Amino acid sequence: MSEPILQLRAVSKSFGAVRVLHDVDFTVRAGEVTALVGDNGAGKSTLVKCVAGIHPIDGGEILFNGEPVTIHAPADASALGIEVVYQDLALADNLDIVQNMFLGRERGKPWLLDESDMEQAARRTLASLSVRTVTSVRMPVASLSGGQRQTVAIAKAVLWDSKVVLLDEPTAALGVAQTRQVLDLVRRLAEQGLGVVLISHNMADVFEVADRIATLYLGRMVAEVPTKDVTHGQVVELITAGRSGELGLARPEAAGAGR
Amino acid sequence: MTAPTSGTRPDDARRHNRSALLRRLHVDGPCTRATLATELGLNRSTIKAVVDGLAEAGVVTEAVPSQRSGAGRPSLMVLPQPQSAVVLAVDIRVDQVAMAMVGIGGQILGRHSWNLHRTTRLPGEVITHVVESAQLLRDELAVVVSAAGVSVPGVVRRADGFVHEAPNLGWRDVALGRRLGSVLQLPTLVGNDAELGALAEHVRGVARDSSDLVYLSADVGLGGGVIAGGRPLRGTGGYVGEIGHIQVRPGGRACFCGAQGCWETEVGEPALCRALGLPEDTPRGALVAELRTLSAAPDQIERKLGEFTEWLATGLVTLVNMLAPELVVLGDLLTALPPRVVDRARAIVHERSLVSRAVGGTRITISPLGRDARLVGAAELAFEQILESI
Repeated sequence: MSEPILQLRAVSKSFGAVRVLHDVDFTVRAGEVTALVGDNGAGKSTLVKCVAGIHPIDGGEILFNGEPVTIHAPADASALGIEVVYQDLALADNLDIVQNMFLGRERGKPWLLDESDMEQAARRTLASLSVRTVTSVRMPVASLSGGQRQTVAIAKAVLWDSKVVLLDEPTAALGVAQTRQVLDLVRRLAEQGLGVVLISHNMADVFEVADRIATLYLGRMVAEVPTKDVTHGQVVELITAGRSGELGLARPEAAGAGR
Repeated sequence: MTAPTSGTRPDDARRHNRSALLRRLHVDGPCTRATLATELGLNRSTIKAVVDGLAEAGVVTEAVPSQRSGAGRPSLMVLPQPQSAVVLAVDIRVDQVAMAMVGIGGQILGRHSWNLHRTTRLPGEVITHVVESAQLLRDELAVVVSAAGVSVPGVVRRADGFVHEAPNLGWRDVALGRRLGSVLQLPTLVGNDAELGALAEHVRGVARDSSDLVYLSADVGLGGGVIAGGRPLRGTGGYVGEIGHIQVRPGGRACFCGAQGCWETEVGEPALCRALGLPEDTPRGALVAELRTLSAAPDQIERKLGEFTEWLATGLVTLVNMLAPELVVLGDLLTALPPRVVDRARAIVHERSLVSRAVGGTRITISPLGRDARLVGAAELAFEQILESI
């Protein structure tokens, strides 16, 4: 089997005296949805921000396609093909879908943008994801529903030929039915061969789309397991206690010798 | 497509015209009244009466066309209103279920899907989940659903949607059509996945202009749907299409069906995983990613997929010789194959098949609908039930 597309090895991060990530190992494989779960403050968002280049890492290494890389700024991450979709529907309200998808990376000359080329590319991308819920790519984003906005944000990742997409609670601001449509899109991203990381608090969502589940507990990666091998209960135990049976952290009595 | 008007009483004729016109709009999209009149061979005033009736019922709207051709008063565009007639399409696969609400004209209004595992693959679980999700989608979209169509990877009795065997799902003797229909309280039709894939390609895909086609779809198993003379070939009880169980390799691997060396065991998803040196339960996305990487490294294709290509072509030769299709559409997992593999298989068919030589090379092409083909087919199956009655 080929190399994992993205691999974190013993990554650490502190904010002042607070150690947020302790030697975290994390693997993202192309074509799979990896769910990243954990309680509030477990370090999920920090981990994503480290990969996205918002926070520099203090220790450990990041490998992309098997090669060690340094990510100092968001631009480094997007140059590698890492795209992040945030929960707060981060799109520019006053622009239309095409303008949003190409924001900062417009095509054409600075004084004359190639509007028709961009429009076609946007339309092709939406079609490749079988998005048929958006009627016109020239609709202003302000008129879109939350689900449609996330669709546009995710489609942006495909348009830019990203290799890895990190979704930080993409459905937190959405209703039940819209959540389902976004999850459907998340799965189709993976089916196109992208590596997808989904942060979510909703166990039902995680079990519906994820191929593997990675659990963070107080800044430590306690388990990375295939979804089909675990139950809801086990994952909840991992999130809340850091262990479940044989999975997760070693028992306290053994901890002195082990970790 | 539709038989010429044969109604004797005015009522019959009107109903017939109405459904013929709706079918035209549903399949080929919006067009002007003038085009409708020409294509359906009806008088302009008849078209006006029918369109006015439909517009009053809210099924279509009319608009002035943005592009004008020629002089004179422009003929009005007739546009189907997707929200006015909506069906539920469900595609049950071995590893996931996908569903969508589809409006008249084929627009997908909303969709949902989820993974299936060992415990969630039971018929009862799937039916419950489908019904719950349908309720959610219906509320969210605020639409009235009029019918449902379901695609299943197995042997299905057409009349009542009884699933005899869906081996890769582990289903046997499930009264799916009756159970889903009674809970959803909708007319529900169930069809074999490959048959619906063929229907989708025929109505909305690459095979719109072909009246003889074979749709071949590889998932875990391998199935085929046949359209002959513009109509689906169903066979007795509607059981036709187990193309994956043509024996191609005597003494080959044992197949669950009881035979050995079936085509499916040589070109299905597990076979492809084996050829690439991946575990047989590799997630679909990972397999697609691997195939993508391979497309970029042509020197490795022959080494890894040479034998696979040979088996794919062997079956295709038989298929083309037997059914003489104008077009063979490769669907689902086969759409992810590196172009070189498809080119090679096509070349072999052109070389070895008598029928292909006779017609100057049978067309073999990749499905543009990809993973959505069965879903689109299921929607068309549902629409077949309601276009008469809107």
